[in-house]
Amino acid sequence: MSDDRDAAWLVDFQRRFSSMLRAPLDRSSGTLRAVRERYDRDLVDGVTPGPTATPVERLAIYNRQYWFRLFGVLHGAFPLTTRLLGHWTMNDYAARFFLEHPPRHWDIDSAATDFDAFLSGVLPEPVTVLGPTGQPTVESAAVREAVTIDGAYRRVFSMSPVPHFRPAIADPAELMRTRLRPSPTALVLEERWPLVRLRDELSTVAGEVPVPLPPRLPETQWWALVRQPSATGRFPLARREAQLFSLLAKYSVGEALANLEADCTNEERARLPVQVQQWLARSVDLGFWTGTDQ
Amino acid sequence: MTPVARASDAAAMHTRAMQRVPAELARDALGLGLRVPHYPYLFEHWPNVGYFEAISENFLGDGPVPRQTLERVRSNYPIVLHGVGLNLLGHADLDEAYLDRLARLADAVDAPFVTDHLCWTGAHGVTHHDLLPLPYVDDLVEMAAKRAREVQRRLGRPFGVENLSSYVEFRESTMTEWEFYTAVVREAGCSFMLDVNNIYVSSQNHGFDPEAYVATIDFSRVLQVHVAGHTREPSGTIVDTHDRPVAEAVWKLYASAWRKGGPFPTLLEWDDNIPSMPDAIAELQRARAARA
Repeated sequence: MSDDRDAAWLVDFQRRFSSMLRAPLDRSSGTLRAVRERYDRDLVDGVTPGPTATPVERLAIYNRQYWFRLFGVLHGAFPLTTRLLGHWTMNDYAARFFLEHPPRHWDIDSAATDFDAFLSGVLPEPVTVLGPTGQPTVESAAVREAVTIDGAYRRVFSMSPVPHFRPAIADPAELMRTRLRPSPTALVLEERWPLVRLRDELSTVAGEVPVPLPPRLPETQWWALVRQPSATGRFPLARREAQLFSLLAKYSVGEALANLEADCTNEERARLPVQVQQWLARSVDLGFWTGTDQ
Repeated sequence: MTPVARASDAAAMHTRAMQRVPAELARDALGLGLRVPHYPYLFEHWPNVGYFEAISENFLGDGPVPRQTLERVRSNYPIVLHGVGLNLLGHADLDEAYLDRLARLADAVDAPFVTDHLCWTGAHGVTHHDLLPLPYVDDLVEMAAKRAREVQRRLGRPFGVENLSSYVEFRESTMTEWEFYTAVVREAGCSFMLDVNNIYVSSQNHGFDPEAYVATIDFSRVLQVHVAGHTREPSGTIVDTHDRPVAEAVWKLYASAWRKGGPFPTLLEWDDNIPSMPDAIAELQRARAARA
């Protein structure tokens, strides 16, 4: 800019225009409508009428584009959650999220960061969804599980590959004192509804209305979610195996094993020595660790 | 070119460059916007496309997969970079970290040129992820030219600014969009990234003659011409949706541009309701008929 006066003009113009862009869309009519009467008066007065639209109608195009572009980002980043809630309900939470957390980075995908934590924190019990499914509510725990699964896929996919750690610790006592450093490219997922499979199934089926929540699994299922060279892989884990992986991420090997053993039944404890060897080897093969912290 | 990359990167890039097709574009090349839904077909058939244009921001991050994919594409095609996040006319200073990444990416793919838009995309620390208009005034010519010149210097290769499609005009403007556009390019010493669909969209939304716009362009400074589809709303307003074939009126404008200033590389953008790759290529080939 040529001087401070002009820079101040630009700062003020962009503040007014930004405020218009970010004005929430009204939901009361059953469609998402730009609330043109709330636009900054000076901004509106500064726009010329066009051959096909009034100044406020012209500005509203930008207002709607802003919101629908961001809704699309969350739909893409949290596909399972979006389908469980349906677009109408998802967009409501999305709008609340973006009002609190407007995008601040050139990478539009980063706009979705922390939506999982936000949604988990604001969900009521139960969650009301709209759509012709005959199921107007869904358990908030299931939606939390869905958004956690989507968030995990998103995190693992975005991580750069790290070399797998292959321990060469011959001394058992030293191994017990060792703390394994978790890889950012591998996570443990827990599901009480068959949502990981549902996520796969929905990936090829478009739709805006809520999909019915499948019945709860008879038993909780655990998965290892692992970034691989060309894709994100998932592998079923046994209950105690998943528990071990989670404990190893927090404690030394010795402490993790002690915690695991203390939690097991006598029958499980009898099988542990053999199973732990297998599970540790598998965690190394899957790339759960990047090194050790003594 | 500016030696932005680290020496180790440069050595790795040199090795890869030995396995690539040349970076240069034929002046009449036909290119396609690189889009994820086309990857399976692209990597199986390696179709006859002159070059690809990658959206810069999709490949600036740290995730390994996009860069590996781009390198794979680069092995068989020249790649030009087209950004949507430079924020050339934002009130805040240009993002140095963004520019560093962009320069490294341009070096890595040996891009013949890099382009972005003559607009603002965010303000007051918030990014809007849209290409936003401003009043066209002298002071902004000076600011835009200074910044575009700096971007071109940092990139060490030709930098082109693209004209917007827009839905508003401002009373404070003291010049037409094409006067603003040509003044910025002239004063910056940079180039035009001319989007004829955008010219057409804006001409219908604002009521000007698109041919008069094209007539003002110095085609010796045009790096590339974009074509794309748009949507006419019931009100008559046209929205730049990139979700359908190029309109006949836009091909007609393209033909005028070609008569005035061809040859120039031509790029088809398609960002929503993306068709199969063979269908997108067939649409791109319509440029040849328009040139006849």
